[in-house]
Amino acid sequence: MAVGHGDSSSSDKKSTDALNDLQTFNAENLQSNMKVIYYSRTFLSIIGGVIAGILGFKGLIGFVFYFLVMAITSAALTAKAKFSIHSYFDTWNRVLLDGFFGGLMSFVLFWTFAYDIVHIF
Amino acid sequence: MAEDLVLDTAIRDWVLIPLSIVMVLIGVLRYFVSKLMRSTQVPDGKIVKEGQVIVRARNLRAAANFIPAKSFRARRAYFSNEENGLLHVPKGQAQNPQAQMFSDPNMAMDMMKKNLSMIIPQTLTFAWVNFFFSGFVAAKIPFPLTQRFRSMLQNGIDLSTVDVSYVSSRSWYFLNLFGLRGLFSLILGEDNATDDAQRMMQMSGFGFDPTKNLGAEKDGLDIVQHEWALPKFEQRAEAVLKKLVS
Repeated sequence: MAVGHGDSSSSDKKSTDALNDLQTFNAENLQSNMKVIYYSRTFLSIIGGVIAGILGFKGLIGFVFYFLVMAITSAALTAKAKFSIHSYFDTWNRVLLDGFFGGLMSFVLFWTFAYDIVHIF
Repeated sequence: MAEDLVLDTAIRDWVLIPLSIVMVLIGVLRYFVSKLMRSTQVPDGKIVKEGQVIVRARNLRAAANFIPAKSFRARRAYFSNEENGLLHVPKGQAQNPQAQMFSDPNMAMDMMKKNLSMIIPQTLTFAWVNFFFSGFVAAKIPFPLTQRFRSMLQNGIDLSTVDVSYVSSRSWYFLNLFGLRGLFSLILGEDNATDDAQRMMQMSGFGFDPTKNLGAEKDGLDIVQHEWALPKFEQRAEAVLKKLVS
């Protein structure tokens, strides 16, 4: 497992320096990774909203679909980080839960929009 | 009661889409305007210096365990020495930057400008929506809500038997207001002035930054228990190599 401190050539930057007790993080890289997570979630919630609207989901199923999209986002981010979360983020919670509800409003907006355009009008 | 109303296509063409487009354009316009207005601010040398000192102290605190004990103590004394340490601010001076910040006309004007540039477009758009687009059903939200939301979402529509899912354009405006924040952060990059909550935090954080942070950094530095990591490096190297080999 390689350790890197200032490597900035890849889009997902490494951020930890070593193993157990001395956890040091390159704050800039960590923040950049957080931004990547945020952008991915926002984008996918918009796309998920459009899909949910087109498919005509109503009520609870739509929200279930939103959580499904968020779970897929988490899985995809984990796969992109090659399953070694601790090289890129400080805790598991970051990848799994951070920004979970942030995309909800965008999802609802685009869901309403697509649903109306396709089904009501 | 449960059948879908069929709404005129003209509503979609002339209400939903224009409203969304207008809000996106206003957001973009506000972003550029705030960028233009911000470029006239000259950073104060003293504040920048203090900020940099805080950054150095923070780095020292974070990486304290990587340097031997004596050098750490020497650096710490440099920062928190009682007479001429960089972080030590005499009580009399500590209040000054804060008072200066709030009475400085430039700073107050800037904050007011930012506030206004946020509030005015929202107010204008809301008034526009109310004037033009009231009194009819604009959209149907795909999930059911309770009756209590009726007065909030349907306030132009005076029929009480219409399903709460059919909302007026005012609620479409609010939905857009919250939902387009995510879109703006994608289009405009991080530094966009459209998120109210973030702006509030930024503004309140900036006002008190120089004064209290110095004292806080000094206290934090004094608290640090230094434990030099070098003696343990051999064990950690062994652990890493073991993982690599096995």
